[in-house]
Amino acid sequence: MTRHIPSICAGVALLLLWEIAHRSFGLSGLPGPVSAFRALPELLSDGDALYDIAQSLQRMAAGYLLAAVFGISFGLLMGTSPLAERLLNPLIMMIYPIPKAALMPILMIWLGIGDASKILVIFLGSSLPIIYHAWQGGRSVSQIVVWSAAAMGMGPVQRLFRIVLPAALPEIFIGLRTGLILALITMVVSEIVARSNGIGNLLFNSMDMALYDRMFAAIIIIAAMGYVLDLIFEAIRTRFLRWSDSGEHIQVAVG
Amino acid sequence: MIAIEHLSKRFKTAAGKDHLALSDINLELKSGEFVSIIGPSGCGKSTLLYMIGGFIPASEGRILIDGKPVAGPGPDRGPVFQEFALFAWKTVLQNIAYGLRLQGKSKAEAEARARVLLKMVGLERFANFYPKELSGGMKQRVAIARTLAYDPQTLLMDEPFGALDAHTRTHLQRDLLQIWEEHRKTVLFVTHSVEEAVYLSDRVIVMAAGPGRIDRIIPIELDRPRQRSELMFDRRYQEYITQIEGMIDAFETEAA
Amino acid sequence: MTANSKLIGLVPILGLVLLWGWLAASGMAPRALLPSPVDVVQRLFELLADPDFLAQIGTTLFRLVSGFLIALVLGTVLAVLSASSEVTQTAVNAFVRILAPLPKIALYPAMILILGFGHSSKIALVVIEAAFPIYLATYQGMRNVDKKLVWAARSAGASRLHCLLFVMLPAAAPSILTGARVALVISCIVVFLSEMMSSTEGLGYVLIDAARNFRTIDMFVPIILISALGLGLGAGLSALRRKLLVGYPQD
Ligand SMILES: Nc1ncnc2c1ncn2[C@@H]1O[C@H](COP(=O)(O)OP(=O)(O)O)[C@@H](O)[C@H]1O
Ligand SMILES: [Mg+2]
Repeated sequence: MTRHIPSICAGVALLLLWEIAHRSFGLSGLPGPVSAFRALPELLSDGDALYDIAQSLQRMAAGYLLAAVFGISFGLLMGTSPLAERLLNPLIMMIYPIPKAALMPILMIWLGIGDASKILVIFLGSSLPIIYHAWQGGRSVSQIVVWSAAAMGMGPVQRLFRIVLPAALPEIFIGLRTGLILALITMVVSEIVARSNGIGNLLFNSMDMALYDRMFAAIIIIAAMGYVLDLIFEAIRTRFLRWSDSGEHIQVAVG
Repeated sequence: MIAIEHLSKRFKTAAGKDHLALSDINLELKSGEFVSIIGPSGCGKSTLLYMIGGFIPASEGRILIDGKPVAGPGPDRGPVFQEFALFAWKTVLQNIAYGLRLQGKSKAEAEARARVLLKMVGLERFANFYPKELSGGMKQRVAIARTLAYDPQTLLMDEPFGALDAHTRTHLQRDLLQIWEEHRKTVLFVTHSVEEAVYLSDRVIVMAAGPGRIDRIIPIELDRPRQRSELMFDRRYQEYITQIEGMIDAFETEAA
Repeated sequence: MTANSKLIGLVPILGLVLLWGWLAASGMAPRALLPSPVDVVQRLFELLADPDFLAQIGTTLFRLVSGFLIALVLGTVLAVLSASSEVTQTAVNAFVRILAPLPKIALYPAMILILGFGHSSKIALVVIEAAFPIYLATYQGMRNVDKKLVWAARSAGASRLHCLLFVMLPAAAPSILTGARVALVISCIVVFLSEMMSSTEGLGYVLIDAARNFRTIDMFVPIILISALGLGLGAGLSALRRKLLVGYPQD
């Protein structure tokens, strides 16, 4: 508990800073934290808004799970097969700097503004770090361990599930976490671009309609999503990786 | 003169317990003396050196240098580490000139002096090389020159030749002894090699572990300047080595 | 890697382009939905000769580079501060821990309202996105500096501040540059997205403008350009890295 005290203090300090900024700027576009938090219950009791948020989360879950399955398989393939690695490495390097959320307008033309385009863009947005870390994890598995498993009579499939996958797991989890944060960000951005529904749409609509309390409430909700997802993820990770010595490290949301 | 009085060091372990690494060390080093420390791994040799260097604080007791207690690192005590600890982003010459520049010498002055030192350690031709382009032995020569450059009264050497091959090691021992004969600095020299300790030192301190302590201090009464080729046939030299090896063997059977 | 093994990596890339060309040429995808790669490249060169379009690139580049440079300074300064004492380390890391999992893009509307619709809100978003990887890389790098390096310097007469700035910071240079490389790509992505979400200029705006008018071919061009910009700047930074880190051991 004591180790959380500095973070709690920092959180309080940030809220204070917000309040001070609110008072000193005197901008209507910057309400104080009190009015923003006051707008929260109203937003959360609004059936439409809640439905929007639930829709957002559903799409995000779908895109992310697809990315996880695809990314881990693809990454492990690259990590264990030198041919696949040489074949795909340049492609991955080339795709890496493409802003995936920027594909949204094109995907909308192709697939419409419905769920398909958003799920696809979330999938694209989150799969790259998952592939990358699964690849690095697969590479790091000691060849000697794999060979000795083969010598003990394990087939290739068994080796993959019993040796390679567990050994690569700590690294895979790093990728899954970065991917999760990216999924959240891509979701928000895709909704801002598509402007049909979802929390991102709510956020920018509130801004356009000058409902600033509501806008900041939406920011708080997105921030809360970030924290909650992070906590859930950390709980799952520690569950799976009790044996591993990879200590805690600060993870950054990127994108 | 360095006086160490009732010096102890405790570390906090990860579990939060106290670990007594060094217990009640008492020692005096005369100016210009060459003293080696030998003892099993983990008996606190490095820790003792680091405290004299002022890099880590003592838990109890004190270290006096010419009567003044140690309060931190200073240019009167120059360390030489087994890992060389050279500045990778500086050339050989810049590494050696570093301390002189810190003392406010002009670039030209510092580099002129650095070149003298470079010559002393036999690396004139490598002035503009980066450390990564040197062999281990050459790196350690640079590290020694870097420390000698700011002219410390005392050299604190922590297994300086421990990472080098036997051949390079012999060369560096000879050169170090030569430099010492010339400048007569106080040297505290940690080593794992009994032979090295006897060859170089005026006194050999044998330490024991659990907790780290001084077990015995053996004066080496061999004539100087010493030549290794002559010492080889010196009976006393052989006896010192046998005696100390025997003591260390005894610790190890005791510990096992 | 041999030239041969590098060439094999081109196969999937060429394959994708060929697939794209075939899809466009076969008529399965209407031209309005999927322009052919040849058309896209042609359009790219057409636009690159257009001063208005170059001005858009200039705007994006300006926001990108200034945001990145501010983030570089900010992240490094915070890391040095953090490495300077236990107290500052606890304080800085407390804020980092709170802010790191936050999807910063959500703060963008607030930045627009405070800083306006012009350059500053975009630059601010780039700064907060890019500063974190730079901070973390620099901080880790400085923490992992061999203590003996600092001790050697302190013995030679260096002050604590001197060690922080002229021993630990240069020793951490490889990590800083690795962090900077990550941050640079992030900056490219973020500046583009910020321009898509709200702007009247820049490459991101070009994309949105084309989308509003259903000019599909003009949507491909800015995406290709920003990706190329990311690749190019990244390669530039790698070259700079090799220059800056001459003496450092290869990792
Ligand atoms: N920073 C530290 N934290 C905890 N224990 C330490 C630390 N440094 C050294 N020790 C412990 O102190 C003892 C002496 O270490 P050291 O001086 O390195 O021994 P030596 O150099 O003789 O091999 C060892 O038991 C070691 O585990
Ligand atoms: Mg030691």
